[in-house]
Amino acid sequence: MQVTGQLLLTVLMGALLLGVAVFLARVEDWRSYTPLGAGGTAGESGYVSQEKPSGIIRWFTTVDHKDIGLLYGTYALIAFVVGGTMVMLMRAELWTPSNDASLDLLGSATFYNSLLTSHGITMLFLFGTPIIAAFANYLVPLIIDADDMAFPRINAIAFWLLPPGALLIWAGFFPLPDVIPAQTAWTMYTPLSAGVGAGNQSNVGVDLMLLGLHLTGVSATMGAINFIATIFTERSEDVTWANLDIFSWTILTQSGLILFAFPLLGSALVMLLLDRNLGTTFFVVGGGDPILWQHLFWFFGHPEVYILVLPPMGIVSYVLPRFAGRKLFGFKFVVYSTLAIGVLSFGVWAHHMFSTGIDPRLRASFMAVSLAIAIPSAVKTFNWITTMWNGKLRLTTPMLYCIGFVSNFIIGGVTGVFLASVPVDLVLHDTYYVVGHFHYIVMGAITFAGMAGIYYWFPLVTGRWYQRRLAKAHFWLWMVGTNLTFFAMVLLGYGGMPRRYATYLPEFATLHRIATVGAALLFVGGLIFVYNIATSWVEGTRVSSGDPWNLAEKNLNTAEWAWFEQRRETALADGGEEGDAVTDGGKVDADDE
Amino acid sequence: MDETPGLSDQYRMVSPWPLFVALGLPIAELGLLFGLVPLAVGGLLLFGGSVAGMLRESGYVSTPWRALVAISALTFVVGGALLYADPMTTVSLTLRGYATVAAAVVMLVVGVGGELFAFDTDVAA
Ligand code: HEM
Ligand SMILES: [Cu+2]
Repeated sequence: MQVTGQLLLTVLMGALLLGVAVFLARVEDWRSYTPLGAGGTAGESGYVSQEKPSGIIRWFTTVDHKDIGLLYGTYALIAFVVGGTMVMLMRAELWTPSNDASLDLLGSATFYNSLLTSHGITMLFLFGTPIIAAFANYLVPLIIDADDMAFPRINAIAFWLLPPGALLIWAGFFPLPDVIPAQTAWTMYTPLSAGVGAGNQSNVGVDLMLLGLHLTGVSATMGAINFIATIFTERSEDVTWANLDIFSWTILTQSGLILFAFPLLGSALVMLLLDRNLGTTFFVVGGGDPILWQHLFWFFGHPEVYILVLPPMGIVSYVLPRFAGRKLFGFKFVVYSTLAIGVLSFGVWAHHMFSTGIDPRLRASFMAVSLAIAIPSAVKTFNWITTMWNGKLRLTTPMLYCIGFVSNFIIGGVTGVFLASVPVDLVLHDTYYVVGHFHYIVMGAITFAGMAGIYYWFPLVTGRWYQRRLAKAHFWLWMVGTNLTFFAMVLLGYGGMPRRYATYLPEFATLHRIATVGAALLFVGGLIFVYNIATSWVEGTRVSSGDPWNLAEKNLNTAEWAWFEQRRETALADGGEEGDAVTDGGKVDADDE
Repeated sequence: MDETPGLSDQYRMVSPWPLFVALGLPIAELGLLFGLVPLAVGGLLLFGGSVAGMLRESGYVSTPWRALVAISALTFVVGGALLYADPMTTVSLTLRGYATVAAAVVMLVVGVGGELFAFDTDVAA
């Protein structure tokens, strides 16, 4: 058995290597012999389709930043659907209180815990980070007028590490013999995640998940290095630090955070893997200690939440002024706040550990820094509000999402400030209040900004319009759904409902049902979104001008639209067709309010 | 440092290597972590070979063969480190160490062989 297994693996591996070799030999045939001299410019890639082979091979071999952006985006949306489906199962289960012995819908608490773990990891690492990379890849080189990323191949490697990562993270759900999904929750606290004790978490499913997570970390780090190099060295001459746009600023700061945070996660994961498989004692009582994990994890984990929120803040700062009819208020202070948040975010990690019995003096200092970080966040919020104040608002779908972002971010931020206060946290820690807090931010703010970006740049990427009515239905379903779901969670937390349970006491039933109803609205909205994007991509009305949002009118255009206009003109000159289009607020017509 | 993208004049925006670099790494990791020799060796070969190919393609080196020898040397060091650490761990690292060394040997042979015998007339500078 053992031997046949090894033999089979060897044969498979050999076949794979052979296949790769054959493929490479064929691909090498593409090489036309003239070498591209050093310093040869790659040229404008966007509209020269002959620069890439056709069909599926193109997508597997592309190093064009725009293609890679699209790959990231597709990947992220698939992960979003997977993670969303997982949580819908959980919310459906929570419709009834159930009892410990058997769950009404999911059968076992084990399965619930598996879904919980996978939902968190999927959303943060397979949806959140990649969707941001999608925007950054596509847009940053266009905005700063670079030919491409500084290291196009590294860029492609960073992306291609993600699909194996996802397969490993989800491996426990596949019908593999003796592999079960991890149930460690996304925080992977030791000793549970070290697989000690009588539980089942020594299963290889957990190892596979840790490996997958490690790969996504390597990917994020490579991406970050690439963005830093690109923004520093590939800018065109007329893009200076003084007029670098806000989105690139946030990507730069985020990349800096990734550079310090993700390698640390990677090391901690390796230590955990070694503990699990090779008998080291990093997280063993009497060795390094289980609490060491929490310090390492949160030293990564808190910056991670800002890694996820800074670029969406950048998108909002970039898009919102376009539809407020004026420039971003206090641009400089938004940049300074971004940098301040970046620095401070490394000094607050122990606010996740207030109830672990750490030294009270440490707690007090971490509380102070945590309260301080709310200040730059609030500065930004006020800047967005003042940008809109007395502005001439156009309530297009991207604008609605920006406003939704600000509104949800305020609730998420204010609940965060309360948690930062030690006495309050000791009461609310590990309750649904915390879940409500961070979902207001990850769903209500980060995902909303992502949607603002998707709708805003949809014409840029596809040359077509999305369907306006569907987009607005999507927004309202999500705005109502988010607030129903997560405000109910805040209240559940006040009532003392602990987080991460598959069952609950009957007195919590009403609020849990409200949360489930809200989640159902989110689900319906999500279906509409996917349908809208998919159908509009292939048959949406064509954009009829190079300035689909009519930004020139108020002198609010930005570099990526200039690129778009240029590309359109080239395409038209090549005999492309022009259809007429209805803009989403481009023309301020009556039914767009 | 200007990395000139492109496999060739015609296909400037593509490269076949990144996909395989990204595939080799997890396969090697899985093999080494769980002590599965075929995966460890094959993954390391895929990873090392693709890195060498990519270095050549982007013009950091002029032939892939010497790069492969350099990568083989690094792999040797890793394998040696595993074997050195072996007596100090509760779990045996012998197999993992030798798998790594084996991958290094294969890369060395291919590298030296390529350097000596390959006609790389079709390899662009
Ligand atoms: C306004 C500044 C913020 C403050 C002061 C703050 C404070 C806190 C505190 C003290 C906790 C720990 C609660 C506990 O477990 O007892 C917490 C949890 C959390 N926060 Fe925030 N937060 C802020 C903003 C954010 C942002 C912007 C994000 C996301 C981008 C975020 C995401 C999270 C997450 C994911 C958790 C839960 C971690 C877990 O699973 O235990 N927070 N926050
Ligand atoms: Cu935090």
